[in-house]
Amino acid sequence: MAKKGWDEFEIGAMLRTFNGKIDDIAGTRQENRDYSENSSYTASVADWRLIKPVFNKDYCIDCQFCWVYCPDVSIISRDQKLIGIDMDHCKGCGICVEVCPTNPKSLLMFPEQADEETEIASWPKKDEKEA
Amino acid sequence: MSEMKKIKNLKEFSTSADRFEGANLLCPGCAHSIIVREVLNATNDDMVLSASTGCLEVCTAVYPYTSWDASWIHIGFENSSTAVAGAESMYKALKKKGRLKQPDRNPKFVSFAGDGASYDIGFQWISGCMERGHNIMHIVLDNEVYANTGGQRSSSTPIGSSATTSPAGKVSYGEKKNKKDMMTIMAAHGIPYAAQVSPNKWKDMVKKIQHGFAVEGPVFINAVSPCTTEWKFDPKDTMHLADLATDSLVFPLYEIIDGRELNITYRPKNVVPVEEYLAAQGRFKHLFKDEYKYLIKEWQERVDANWAYLQRREEARV
Amino acid sequence: MAFDKMELREIEVWDGNFAAAQALRQAQVDVVAAYPITPSTPIVEGYAQFTADGYVEGEFVMVESEHAAMSACIGAAAAGGRVATATSSQGLALMSETLYQASGMRLPVVLNLVNRALAAPLNVNGDHSDMYMIRDSGWVQFDAFCPQEVYDLNLIAFRVSEDHGVRLPAIVNQDGFMTSHTAQGVKPLSDDAAYAFVGQYKPMNDMLDFEHPVTHGVQTEEDWHFEHKARQHNDLMTKVMPKIESVFAEFAQLTGRKYTPVEKYDMDDADVCVVCLGTSVETAREVAKEMRAQGIKAGVVGLRVIRPFPFFQIADALKGVKAIATLDRSSPNGAAGMLFNEVAGALFNTDTKALLSGYIYGLGGRDLTKAHLVALFKELQANVDAGKVTTQLQQFIGVRGPKLAFL
Repeated sequence: MAKKGWDEFEIGAMLRTFNGKIDDIAGTRQENRDYSENSSYTASVADWRLIKPVFNKDYCIDCQFCWVYCPDVSIISRDQKLIGIDMDHCKGCGICVEVCPTNPKSLLMFPEQADEETEIASWPKKDEKEA
Repeated sequence: MSEMKKIKNLKEFSTSADRFEGANLLCPGCAHSIIVREVLNATNDDMVLSASTGCLEVCTAVYPYTSWDASWIHIGFENSSTAVAGAESMYKALKKKGRLKQPDRNPKFVSFAGDGASYDIGFQWISGCMERGHNIMHIVLDNEVYANTGGQRSSSTPIGSSATTSPAGKVSYGEKKNKKDMMTIMAAHGIPYAAQVSPNKWKDMVKKIQHGFAVEGPVFINAVSPCTTEWKFDPKDTMHLADLATDSLVFPLYEIIDGRELNITYRPKNVVPVEEYLAAQGRFKHLFKDEYKYLIKEWQERVDANWAYLQRREEARV
Repeated sequence: MAFDKMELREIEVWDGNFAAAQALRQAQVDVVAAYPITPSTPIVEGYAQFTADGYVEGEFVMVESEHAAMSACIGAAAAGGRVATATSSQGLALMSETLYQASGMRLPVVLNLVNRALAAPLNVNGDHSDMYMIRDSGWVQFDAFCPQEVYDLNLIAFRVSEDHGVRLPAIVNQDGFMTSHTAQGVKPLSDDAAYAFVGQYKPMNDMLDFEHPVTHGVQTEEDWHFEHKARQHNDLMTKVMPKIESVFAEFAQLTGRKYTPVEKYDMDDADVCVVCLGTSVETAREVAKEMRAQGIKAGVVGLRVIRPFPFFQIADALKGVKAIATLDRSSPNGAAGMLFNEVAGALFNTDTKALLSGYIYGLGGRDLTKAHLVALFKELQANVDAGKVTTQLQQFIGVRGPKLAFL
């Protein structure tokens, strides 16, 4: 964000989360909220990542462990289904992979540069030992 | 009184619209934000939040960004409890005077603070809030160290932990004092609800937070928050550490109602040896030298004694 | 919930503390969070009694320390309503961390500061050490010389502090014991007239507006901090004084009581004058009149507004004076004295080339006697006659032992 001069911002270093008014925050999904430029939702920490999670929906059972344990609100669940990963906010911690209970896992970590389609095409098979 | 949010299972919970945002500056794998999300998603009511100076505060409101979708205030290190108590007092005043802008809401007043900001520097402020009976919830994000400033010991730091101001060295095994028992101190204020929670047990957490929101009066919550940076474990293992904490009974999950009635809310099927919990963390690495192994034994004895004490209190209903 | 109004006489006999408590009651403060400390305790006790007797509808929160008092005030102010408290001395010292938070977050709070010495050694009596300690904390600071002014300035302080162009907390100073515990005639407004003057609180950036969530108390480092502090200073320098003057004018219309940022007494033709604060202003006025009978054209300047410092107003008030004494009631501990420095700064680039000397007096409640002031005015006249300062620039008056003078 552009660095503003002393006369260009709200007094008291106060920040507003949304542009204008919001009626029911808890009942409004992120994509339907009018975030202001001051909400960190509009920022990205993608450059923190060295490794990234890749989601393979073929094995996902929508248990939502990854959703509840993601520290960065980066597992996108809608209507009780995991639909993707918010790569602007994911810091690549790998918790989602650790807590994924399926066999093989529905989420795996790969180098940041890895191609998602290639990795999904060569996804590991079921681990018989673990099963 | 607003209706309590119905959360039967994790699938239902996952329909929550988060009011805490990513691209905050907390470390990858930080348990603080997992706890915050579970707390905030436990209700659909409006919230007024505060935070004491600490990791959560400095990482979620760095100008020009805020990660909070509810009104939030930070004043200082010691006073998040009193800050939100002031806001709660204003709410009561404006309600009486008929000047609330949205009088139909049922806001929840929640203060977040680290163990340093709660067990140490903010102790008096929290005690004052508990004694006065404000309708607030104070939540400790207990990572047993001053993590924000680089790992200095607090009165929550357990025996044998190597912190920067109680380091392990040639002639020292690190922290010498046992962790302060905040739960019973807070419960002794006669508050309606005090509970220890852990983010891995999300359902236990949500139930306790909802109970806390439902009662009138001050609520104290101690949440174990495994710290990848200061406990020294891989960020991906945060929930594994939380599992070890609850299942070794180092962090037993229980609640105290009205300062007296103690209920254990989680009994692990297979209790994990404390040694496993310690071994998973770099801050206890030195305890595995021969000369300090007796400390591990003592650790186990302490944890067993505490578990026995909690069970006796639960049975005795005192 | 209803609350009762109080019938007041045209002239009440109130001390400064009770005058403050009455003003807070009439302003219908939404949250008072406070902690007792001598000599401001009776403000808190008075307000507690009003609450117990059903005259207060707002919340009265007795907290466990002064730091908590201001912390709760800040939380309450950020939530969006009228907030006030009172303290003194060590209490102010304990809350000083949060004073910067209140001003930095631009939250209106009215603080009655009943001036008292700072330990060590411990002392409960009046001097201005506490007032001086937090003078750069970003609060607007008024100074009352008597109980009537305590009452008036409280009502005025809410108007200034809560104005959306100002949004800065305000302190109303009064001398410990000399004002706070000395009953005098006070002409109050009726409850209705007082509240009509203060007006209903108008929220801004309020946390309790759930349709517009706000974040207060952010972190700024080297890339933003300077701009925010600059903004606050700018508003103190450009917006506060015009607002104070317009509220003073409105108050004068309502009550006939006229205030100015710098109060001048017998200054039109004065050769010599003192610049001082608090109850000393009234003592100095009396002595100045007596000096005139002795042929010394003496005057007095009292600061009604200490922050923002009335730089130009004080230069104007001192225009044409030949010798000035600043009276600082706080140990400067290794410097010349706050008033000495501020007055010197205000005059330095002007055509007024007066002889300036400073006096340290009254620490820990030591009396400033008329005899002290007679001697002081005579010294100033001697300076005028000699065309130079004939004494050292800084002198202690009223202290036992060998004469103490420096610079």
